[in-house]
Amino acid sequence: MKKYLYMFIATLALASTALAVDSQIWGEMRIQNILGYGQEESLKLGPLFTMLQHQYFAWIFLGVLIGVPGAFFLHYKIIGPKVFPHSEKKYYAFNLYNRIIHQIAAISFIVIVPTGFVIVFGDFFGGGMFVRFCKNLHGLFTIPFTIVVIPMALMWLKEALFNLDDVKWFMILGGYLSKEKKPILAGKFNAGQKMWYWVAILGGITMILSGAFMFFLDFKMEMLHNVTGMSQIDMLRAAAIIHNVMGFAVVALFITHIYMSMFAIKGAVQSIITGYVEEEEVKILHSTWYKKLKDQGKF
Amino acid sequence: MEYARMKFYCDEHRCIECDGCSVACAEAHELPVGIARRKVITINEGIPGKEFSTSIACMHCTDAPCEQVCPVDCFYIREDGIVLHDKEKCIGCGYCLYACPFGAPQFPREGIFGAKGAMDKCTMCAGGPLETNSEKERHLYGQNRIAEGKVPVCAAMCSTKALLVGDSESVSAIIRARVSSRAKGASNPLVWDKAYKNQ
Ligand code: HEM
Ligand code: SF4
Ligand code: SF4
Repeated sequence: MKKYLYMFIATLALASTALAVDSQIWGEMRIQNILGYGQEESLKLGPLFTMLQHQYFAWIFLGVLIGVPGAFFLHYKIIGPKVFPHSEKKYYAFNLYNRIIHQIAAISFIVIVPTGFVIVFGDFFGGGMFVRFCKNLHGLFTIPFTIVVIPMALMWLKEALFNLDDVKWFMILGGYLSKEKKPILAGKFNAGQKMWYWVAILGGITMILSGAFMFFLDFKMEMLHNVTGMSQIDMLRAAAIIHNVMGFAVVALFITHIYMSMFAIKGAVQSIITGYVEEEEVKILHSTWYKKLKDQGKF
Repeated sequence: MEYARMKFYCDEHRCIECDGCSVACAEAHELPVGIARRKVITINEGIPGKEFSTSIACMHCTDAPCEQVCPVDCFYIREDGIVLHDKEKCIGCGYCLYACPFGAPQFPREGIFGAKGAMDKCTMCAGGPLETNSEKERHLYGQNRIAEGKVPVCAAMCSTKALLVGDSESVSAIIRARVSSRAKGASNPLVWDKAYKNQ
């Protein structure tokens, strides 16, 4: 795993040193870029990006921004939060290392997501200084997230692998559609949390890479061109499309994650602050894990 | 009143790849190093009979793609078709470059992180949204020659008169006259289908 981490860092480093070589956009390549634009046999990424950005991206983001919290607002009003009594017994589930890694990622996202929205709706904010400042914050807070994303992936990988419990969890949507409190099959992480894990990790890495492409803009990585068969400008177009599309998923699940931890399950956020999970909560929402802990005499 | 549609035209039979236009542009507008609003390119280099050169900058496209994608909506298209943008609004996101068929938008790096600064491109020597011929306009966008009734500096400097700027009717009339005086048949200038949708 360390090897991949080094490879990942090396890629980013290469990207910045490669900046010095002949421009892939305004140099000799410009001729091919002009001749290739919108050509029949090409991917037509130029016109595709133009169409998507012109007509769809901002509207989809607006839909996610209103739709997802809207749905949760209804859920809160109709079904309401799950409240668990404070129990005597708690289990220490997240050690200091876990919590620090998570908190760094959390702070990064709290900055990255709203600033991303400010860029998307840049015309609403009038452009200029403020939006530029948000753009810079957006890029800057990518750095702490980049540092913790691999450690976070590794520390929770085992718990985030899908298993049979998850099929059953999805069938009843984790029991969140009913007010009843009956034990739900799930390990340390339920299927919803696992889904967020994968979107945050794989989606997050995708966001880092596509964002890095747009930041560094004019660099050359021979290997990438050979593998994808794409010119630098087309890769930038692809990066912009991917950053937006993956952004929909990251934002939707990020809002869900916040709703679940702060509102839907009262006090759940405490577990990642103090490290302790409450017995009642584990018993109901993570019954498979509860059984295991009980067998080990942890409760 | 009805405005004329301003267009660039570079005659591929005349361009001798002297780079006069791009040097004139960089000097007249005092562009920072690394920024070249205009560039001479050679197509089919080394292939006898097929090689030709042409001068490329922002073409001031019909339904300009850059204007369509800008997240802060900082572009404005003048009645004469010149595509301009507000550098004080621009956040340097790069989207206009991804949309542009000609690679026209460029980005000086700025600040300690080397982030992309406000986008720069050819203004057809028409300045920007600031007060015409003010010091600030000149500093941010370069000369505003159009306001003074002058031809853009690149076309003015072109020694072979390959590079022309003007309203579409006059430009088309010159193209027709030149084509009919040559033995070869008419052909569309290289980038016109993309820039002006052959209107
Ligand atoms: C894990 C999440 C994310 C990471 C790591 C990330 C990273 C980045 C980076 C490094 C850039 C380049 C910044 C620059 O060019 O100065 C960027 C650009 C951008 N990001 Fe994100 N981003 C993330 C999520 C989002 C989300 C959720 C949105 C939308 C709500 C978004 C919208 C944008 C936009 C519109 C740009 C292009 C404009 C620009 O380059 O400034 N990003 N992102
Ligand atoms: S050439 Fe590029 S920058 Fe100029 S108007 Fe067309 S799309 Fe915009
Ligand atoms: S770089 Fe500036 S002009 Fe170009 S799309 Fe982004 S904000 Fe608009």
